[in-house]
Amino acid sequence: MTTNTQASHKLYYDDVQVGNELPKLVKPPVTHLQLVRYAGASGDFNPLHTDPTVGETIGTGGIIAHGMLIMGFVGQLLSDYAGPSTLRKFGVRFKGMTRIGDVITCTGTVTEKYEADGEARIAGKVQAVDQNGDVKVVGTFIAALPRRS
Amino acid sequence: MFDKSKIGHSFPLFTAEVYRNKIHELALAVGDTNPVYHSREAAQAADYDDVPLFPTTATMFSFWSNPQRNSELAKIGINVMRILHGEEEYEYLASIHPGDVLTGVTTIVDGKSRKGKNGSLMDIVTTETRYTNQHNQPVLNARTTLVVRE
Repeated sequence: MTTNTQASHKLYYDDVQVGNELPKLVKPPVTHLQLVRYAGASGDFNPLHTDPTVGETIGTGGIIAHGMLIMGFVGQLLSDYAGPSTLRKFGVRFKGMTRIGDVITCTGTVTEKYEADGEARIAGKVQAVDQNGDVKVVGTFIAALPRRS
Repeated sequence: MFDKSKIGHSFPLFTAEVYRNKIHELALAVGDTNPVYHSREAAQAADYDDVPLFPTTATMFSFWSNPQRNSELAKIGINVMRILHGEEEYEYLASIHPGDVLTGVTTIVDGKSRKGKNGSLMDIVTTETRYTNQHNQPVLNARTTLVVRE
């Protein structure tokens, strides 16, 4: 598991600039145990994520990770950066399959700062890639941040 | 081939209660060790009323709280064994707390058939699930795009 050094850090709207990069999140290699655990947590028990024999039969060449686990990694990136409960919108497109042993790195960039519905908001783009640079997930987010004043 | 007459079709509504322990379990599975997701005391120490929602918590509402999801999709002709997840998007409209009881309604909002690179047909189906809380307040919308290989 990754250690969270940002848990008590608070991000303010005033301190964010368009073009800022989110602190990169590098996850430990995906394990079979993690997929079993994720199946139990999420309730998605599709056997192609947990049972190697099913993975072989349907032609994915072994177990593949839940796409939503990788979205969860990106969720952690955003939560670490902007803080829990700051998200207003978060969407991803799944671009590639993740396999056991893959090391996923999540990155993001702030693309916009604006006010809406009485809130100070930032928007940005995010992605998750594996150890070979193959893209697994691309997405966008909107978060509402407190002001210093 | 996706039956376009199913666009606009809504499934029976379902109830999703928000459990603190399930948020803890999801964050644990993802590997997010931020203490606010793991105990109410830690959350309160960081100025939250209770454990906040992990960003992808709504995935548990659609699976755990809606076990009939796959049979409902099968009923409108979707081969659930051939589903791949194409896109997922959440719109967070109001805060959700442990103990809240949400009502979800899933509607088919788009669907089309496309030819894949190898010439085989695939259906691309988008659902939207709108959640309201026990005070009838809209709290979250989840949009899911499924790719069904034929």
